Parts: sequence; C-alpha cells; structure tokens
Amino acid sequence: MSAEAVHRFRAMGCDVALAGGDPADAAVVLERWEAAFSLFRPKSELSRVNGSPARVLAVSQLFAHALEVALDTAAETEGLVDPTLCGRWADVAVSGRMVSRPSGLVLDLNGVVKALAVDEAAAALDGPGFVSVGGDLAVRGPVDVALPAGGAIRVLAGGLATSGTASRGAHLVDPATSRASESCWEQVTASGATCLDADAAAKAGFLLGERGPGWLDARGIPGRFVGRDGEIVENDAWAGATRAVVSCT
Amino acid sequence: MVERSRIERARRRARVAKAAVGALTALVFGVAFVGAKTHAPGHTKGKAKPLGAPTSFERAVRSSALQSGQIAPPAQPPVVSSATS
Repeated sequence: MSAEAVHRFRAMGCDVALAGGDPADAAVVLERWEAAFSLFRPKSELSRVNGSPARVLAVSQLFAHALEVALDTAAETEGLVDPTLCGRWADVAVSGRMVSRPSGLVLDLNGVVKALAVDEAAAALDGPGFVSVGGDLAVRGPVDVALPAGGAIRVLAGGLATSGTASRGAHLVDPATSRASESCWEQVTASGATCLDADAAAKAGFLLGERGPGWLDARGIPGRFVGRDGEIVENDAWAGATRAVVSCT
Repeated sequence: MVERSRIERARRRARVAKAAVGALTALVFGVAFVGAKTHAPGHTKGKAKPLGAPTSFERAVRSSALQSGQIAPPAQPPVVSSATS
C-alpha cells in the first residue's frame, strides 16, 4: 500500500487517515458518532442525557449500543476504562433503549466512541485498507504502522491503538482516584481484534502502570510501553509476535 | 341391657378407629412435610443465594473478552502511524 493511496482529513477533532475506501463515506460515519457523543456539543445526545435530571431515560439505539459496549469494556478491564470516570459504572444499566443511572451521574463515553467509529468506518471499506482516527486504527489486510518513539510493525488483522499523555497531557482519568493518572508510562500501544479491543487494552495498560505489561500478557494481548524516560518495554506477547523469524534454507 | 352394651362397644371401636385414622393422617402429613422441606427442589436448607453466574465464571469470561489482534514485523515503510489520542 503506497502513501499516495492514503486520504487524509480531519474529523472528531483528530487527523484521519484512510485507504481502501471513500473518505466521504467514512466522514459521514465519524460525524454521526461525533454528533451523538461529543461533550463539546450542547445538542449532542450525550450532553442532553448528562443534563437531564431523570433517573431513567429513553435513548437512541446508537446511544444504548455505545453505553452497553462501554459497560462491557468496564467489566472486561476491571473498571479501569469506566464511562462514569468515578468507579460507579456498575450503577448504570441499559435495557433495550432505556438507560438507568443515579441522578446526576455524568457519563463520558469517549473511552469507546472513537474506537467504535473507527471499527464501523473500517467495516465499510471497499477492500483492503485501513481507517485511522487520531492514531487509533482498524485494518482490512496488512498495513505497516509507525510506532511512538520510533519503530514500526505490520498489523495483519484487527486494530492498533495508543493511549497516553504525549499529545494531550495527563487526560486519562484513573477511576480509583477520579484524578488524572500518574502512570509511569508516557504512551502504551496495544493490538486488538478490533480498534475497540486495542484501545481498551492500551488504556488499561497505561492506567495499570508497572502492572500493565503483565496484565496484557495474561490476556495474550501484545503491548508496547514507552516510559517517561523514553525507555521502551515490550511485553512477551508483543515481543513474540514482532520478532523476525529467520527461515532455514 | 345386652343390646345397650353391644352398642357401647361398637361406639368405642368407632372412636378408636377414628383416632387411629386421625393419628395416622397427622403422621403421614408430618413425614411428608419434613421430607419435602429437606429434599424437594425449591426448599433450600440454607440462605438463598442471588441468581447469576458464579463470580469465578464471570471473572474468567471477563479476562478472555479482550481479544488480541495479529501483528508481525514490518515489511514496508509505514503508511500511517499510531499515536497518542
């Protein structure tokens, strides 16, 4: 895949790169997610839900789906990627298109929405290619990807995501303290079956600090950790997958 | 007098028979009640536990829910980069 075949534009407040499909189609998908879940748009559905005093609300199918995914992700990451940002995700319930949550509990679905949008846009590609939004990507077919702090890998299938503090400072909230994480890592990159899986794994690996590499290894997820001092740590799954195999002839 | 005595004896036998049937009925009911309480489904001996999957099962499912992708060493110059978002 040549660099000339890559379309670049802005969406969801990020740089978007796309190959293998129509950028206009992808832009429509990304805008649909942005319109529903942006916290910076007062008329977004998420803003309206957060502004409502009601304990039980009827929401759109897209919103219910995203919230269900966010709650599943919170369970899978043992509460590390939490749509309430305060450890109260278990108090939120979704049934069909009805959402129940304690009055005044604010939801933030940014932990999953961008990755879901990337996965949907990638599923709509015409053929082999990829969709990358702000560096979180999903591929259809092999794609070579540059990594933070140097280096590259080939993503054969699924997604790849990086979380950390390099571009936006300490913005990842540790649900245990409800404050910005003080992780020992600057950036964590993880591979996943989807961009959503990769993003959740990268965030969890980042928030877990020194326990991150082992936590991902226990789940067979490749992770690459860039420390604050620039040191690069690859967990066993990453090292095993990216080690060049010398063929015997 | 003889006739009266026979009637009295018959009434006494009837009372004894009624008492025996009543006692037997109470005994059967008691045994069945205790047996059902002990063995029948829906009659728990201990404190009821909430319905749902065991915690160990939920933990196993959660730990395997995140799935790995497929990566390999690079083969060409990268066309895109993964960055912090």
